[in-house]
Amino acid sequence: MNAMPQDITPTAAAPLAARGLTHCYEGGNVLCGVDLALEPGSVLGLIGRNGAGKSTLIRAMLGLLQPLSGEARVFGEPALRLSDDAKARLAYVPQQPEALAWLTAQQMLDYVGRFYPRWDAAFAHKTLERWKIQPNKLLAKLSPGERQRVDLIRALASQPELLVLDEPAAALDPVARRELLREVALRAGESGTTVLFSTHIVSDLERVASEIAFLHEGRLLLHCGVDETKERYARLWLPAKTSAAAPAQALGRRRHEDGSLSLVVERDARGQWPEAARLPGARIDALGLEDLFVEIAE
Amino acid sequence: MDASLLTIQPNAPEPIYRQIVEQLRRLIAGGQLSPGELLPSVREVAGFHAINPMTVSRAYGIAEGEGLLERLRGKGMAVAATQRAAHTQAQRLALLEPQLLALARHARELELPPEPVLRRLSKLLGE
Repeated sequence: MNAMPQDITPTAAAPLAARGLTHCYEGGNVLCGVDLALEPGSVLGLIGRNGAGKSTLIRAMLGLLQPLSGEARVFGEPALRLSDDAKARLAYVPQQPEALAWLTAQQMLDYVGRFYPRWDAAFAHKTLERWKIQPNKLLAKLSPGERQRVDLIRALASQPELLVLDEPAAALDPVARRELLREVALRAGESGTTVLFSTHIVSDLERVASEIAFLHEGRLLLHCGVDETKERYARLWLPAKTSAAAPAQALGRRRHEDGSLSLVVERDARGQWPEAARLPGARIDALGLEDLFVEIAE
Repeated sequence: MDASLLTIQPNAPEPIYRQIVEQLRRLIAGGQLSPGELLPSVREVAGFHAINPMTVSRAYGIAEGEGLLERLRGKGMAVAATQRAAHTQAQRLALLEPQLLALARHARELELPPEPVLRRLSKLLGE
């Protein structure tokens, strides 16, 4: 794909940055040269279909797997050789937490809390109760959803500067999900926490994310501010008789059975839609992020 | 004013900051918010709706730039005191422009001549 808005330029101060990350598992490439950087205090929502490479990208960015090529940095340090100081400022919640399964939720939180200089024990206690986790049950005996909730509590209670969440929504009911989003939004806005989270629930992302990145088949199709994305892209529909005049450059292109054509088009530097939008019968439709994603990922 | 007075639709094509500005315009023009009335803080709105505080700040900033709101030292944002009690008819009509444009577009797409559409609209408006 060619349209890569250059709004977001990486700087040396980026809490999390990757350059040219490439990785493959048996059977094909998972990441094909991904560049991505987060500004301090930004909330980046990473979306993509199942198998798009979201978890692999997150793990490679944090140094949890060694990419085939490319480099990732956390707080400016090489991700594969992070200092203890950098690790204490970072919290990551994987999709399926497995560590320390022989402890109870309470024991685990008490134990890991000692490693974090800014540990908020009161928050951990309160949230365990609110998210209905039995503090004295072994982690191994909790359901996968409960395990992830305990891990989210662990991550938030450590008051990290960089918070990375892989599909956090899956484990939470709507009320707890809203609570998590509130925590994420307020911490980013008030404490300057930088957040990266992947999700397939696009409306969650639209609430709290300041930026969005679409990952599709191992490539970033788009990385842009959430508001700018909504204002800059739209769907152009052309009836069959004028579809030959469609612009050659478009993020997504779908031919319908009746010969009409749908394209995802972009405003130019002066804020104008492409010429073809003024053809007779042409229609411009504003798109929510979910529709936009479906249009360009198909 | 309470943060719950705002309605946020995160999945609408319209960015959230614009939804907030648009609602403030309407609430002020319609008199539901009166001059001098305090607005909820950025934190209250962001917390209530679980949205990014930067989005709320951006909306308040735009509304302040338009003269809808003013910053009161130590108190936060309030509906601008210089707000005329009743807007002119032209100003209120301008608020309806997006809906009128959409209606005109739909009518053209359905190849409806203006007369029946206007007749129906007049009826709905209670004439």
